[in-house]
Amino acid sequence: MKTTANIFTFSRFTSAVLAIASIFSLAGFTWPFFFVGDELPQTQMFFWLAVAASFVVVVLQISHQHLDAKSVALLGVLSALIAALRPLGAGAVGIEPMWFILILSARVFGASFGFLLGMISMFVSALLTGGMGPWLGYQLFAAAWIGLLAGSLPKKIRGPQEIAMLIVYGIVAAQIFGILMDLQFWPWALGSSTQLSYIPNGDISENISRFITFHFATSMAWDIPRAIFTSVLIAISGKAVLSALRRTHTRAAFLAPVVFTEHVK
Amino acid sequence: MALEGFLDRFIGCWFGRVVMIKFSNVSLVYPNSAKTVLEDLNLTIAEGEMVLVIGPTGSGKSSLLRLINGLVPHHTGGILAGDVSVNGVSTQLTKPGGMAHVIGIVGQNPANGFVADTVEEELAFGMEVLNLPNDVMRKRVEEILDLLSLANLRNRSIATLSGGEQQRVAIGAALVTHPKVLVLDEPTSALDPIAAEEVLSILHRLVHDLGLTVVIAEHKLERVIQFADRIVHINGEGIAKVGTPEEILIDSPIAPPIVHLARALGLKEIGTTVRQMRRLTTEFREIPITDKKKQEVAQLTEAISFKDVTITYGNTKALNGVSSQIFMGEIVAIMGRNGAGKSSLLKALAGVNQISAGKITVLERDPFGLEGRERRESVGFIPQEPSDLLYGQSVGVECEQADADNGVAPGTTLAVLEQLVSGVSINTHPRDLSEGQRLALALSVVLSSNPSILILDEPTRGLDYQAKNELTRMLLAFATTFKRAVVLATHDVELVAELATRVIFIADGEIVADGSTLDVLLSSPAFAPQVAKVMSPQPWLRVKDVIAAIEELR
Repeated sequence: MKTTANIFTFSRFTSAVLAIASIFSLAGFTWPFFFVGDELPQTQMFFWLAVAASFVVVVLQISHQHLDAKSVALLGVLSALIAALRPLGAGAVGIEPMWFILILSARVFGASFGFLLGMISMFVSALLTGGMGPWLGYQLFAAAWIGLLAGSLPKKIRGPQEIAMLIVYGIVAAQIFGILMDLQFWPWALGSSTQLSYIPNGDISENISRFITFHFATSMAWDIPRAIFTSVLIAISGKAVLSALRRTHTRAAFLAPVVFTEHVK
Repeated sequence: MALEGFLDRFIGCWFGRVVMIKFSNVSLVYPNSAKTVLEDLNLTIAEGEMVLVIGPTGSGKSSLLRLINGLVPHHTGGILAGDVSVNGVSTQLTKPGGMAHVIGIVGQNPANGFVADTVEEELAFGMEVLNLPNDVMRKRVEEILDLLSLANLRNRSIATLSGGEQQRVAIGAALVTHPKVLVLDEPTSALDPIAAEEVLSILHRLVHDLGLTVVIAEHKLERVIQFADRIVHINGEGIAKVGTPEEILIDSPIAPPIVHLARALGLKEIGTTVRQMRRLTTEFREIPITDKKKQEVAQLTEAISFKDVTITYGNTKALNGVSSQIFMGEIVAIMGRNGAGKSSLLKALAGVNQISAGKITVLERDPFGLEGRERRESVGFIPQEPSDLLYGQSVGVECEQADADNGVAPGTTLAVLEQLVSGVSINTHPRDLSEGQRLALALSVVLSSNPSILILDEPTRGLDYQAKNELTRMLLAFATTFKRAVVLATHDVELVAELATRVIFIADGEIVADGSTLDVLLSSPAFAPQVAKVMSPQPWLRVKDVIAAIEELR
């Protein structure tokens, strides 16, 4: 059996639900650029809708037995591990040791698994750290996407190139996470008077350039350490962790067919 | 009458008894493998039977056990022909989760299966998963605590329990859901003889008092054979033979020492207990008591000496002022209960642990001060868990690393490994090896540095008879041919009888006996090997001692 195989993939129906949920949440992140109106909207609504939809997906996956007992167990163990790793760095200047495990696990077990893992582990870690709040919905989706994309990287690349690719991805993912997290509170962050503030009903290009300046001015101090930390962890431990996870993949025989017959020969 | 006789003989053995487990024409092939693990196995186990599964390592014992609750093939994948049904339910149709209330399963290493921290919580966990009401759970926890004599351990943290106690908790945790079948995979291989006895007699009682059906796989037949109603013997080619212990053991290559004794003496029947064998062999003992054959080694070159060694952990004294000397060419077995201080002494001798008081010299040096290559060349130490020494990603990497570390020609370590066990693929991950293969790998890594002294902690855990013979042969060659010293801690009296020249017996951190194997083993009935028990009062430890003594008389 090829250990590159995803341990399960979402069915068409679940993919559709996820696509809709993702569009909702994408809208929730990017609304400032398209918004027309007088009052700033309560965007968290988007996310709670999307989160609800995603949990429906998880439940559907399990109840239709797309996820077997072994995958649930693996999802549970890895989520717990990632959730426990998150408060280790106490979030101090972006030192979050959770991302590299999420990226490596998603790489081995596939995009759909990565999506669920990102979402569940972020949720569990929020429970652990008391980090429940309006931002949680945004974080859940950001982490889920990072998992999904990590699992979608080309499978054929192996060896040193694979580690290099994952390091690059780790840097990009850390930046994307930073950008998305900024985007969700930028409209409220500065009031309306500064040069970097959001202009409701404003020109898209103007808003984008203001946002980018805002992002670079305020949160690079978080994103750069996060990117460095994640990529250093991948560089140091990537080979060993990947081989341990791949061994789990083989040993647990995720996709091994079960056949009942009358006679073997 | 004739018909009744027919029924009695052919059907009657199942007539009126409830069939609990039924294998009909079962064959099994794992994915990506051409080997048939089991071939056309037919087996019916009645309620309240205790069935023992034997066979060499890798022959499919564990597969057979896991077929019972459907973990094979549901979790492992593979092709299953025929049908396995338990309590009338086929595993084809029901997943392992659906069998959980009928079958309890206990693994080799109970610590791997524990979920909770304390004994009480661990017992309750299985029932919580099955969503039983609170008052039922309370009642059952009490019941199990009494049944397995765990009441005084109820609030203890599981991590602080001894191996035997942990195994009893694991059995208790499997029994709380009131299963009809209990499946155990080598439950006593990590236990000392007394703890093993404790676990097995509890199983025996469960079978007799509750009518529980027990299926058990075990390497150390001398421990378990007396309790078994029937034996399933799987040979390497997937063919299984089923029968009573006497039927199977009379010509099976896997047999306990007393059966080897019966064969060597040319007895027509074999006994499975010491009592039976004593009855069968009275004539052989009715000769004047022979002299003890001294097998002591000339104590010329000192290898290790330790004097007044004390080791304390916090407030407890693991060792209390022990002294002795070990010479080149000796094989010294250190025996004693779990927690007696055996491992502490070995670690101190190997220079892993620092001692609190006293003096240890190994080859006229303090072992704690030895570093790097010098250390590897003087003392080779194999800890209780051989995988602690192995951190490579594959057997090949591990061997190359050992070659490079010790500056020997590439391939040396692998050659030693090949000599110990054949057919280990170099691409296998060390953790995927069987217990015996892993020990062999650790041993070959240690031997590649060519140490003068070899120290082994519990080397025979989980080894089958074949692997044990191989280990015995190797250690004997190491000690006698190269005149080097071997120190090993073990519970396995049969191994000690075969191998050791001297025994040091430790109890409560003190040496209570230090003498030749013959003297020490014969002086305590509980620690005597089976052959000695059968042949007492004659001073014979091994089958070959008996034969030699009888030959001499003729």
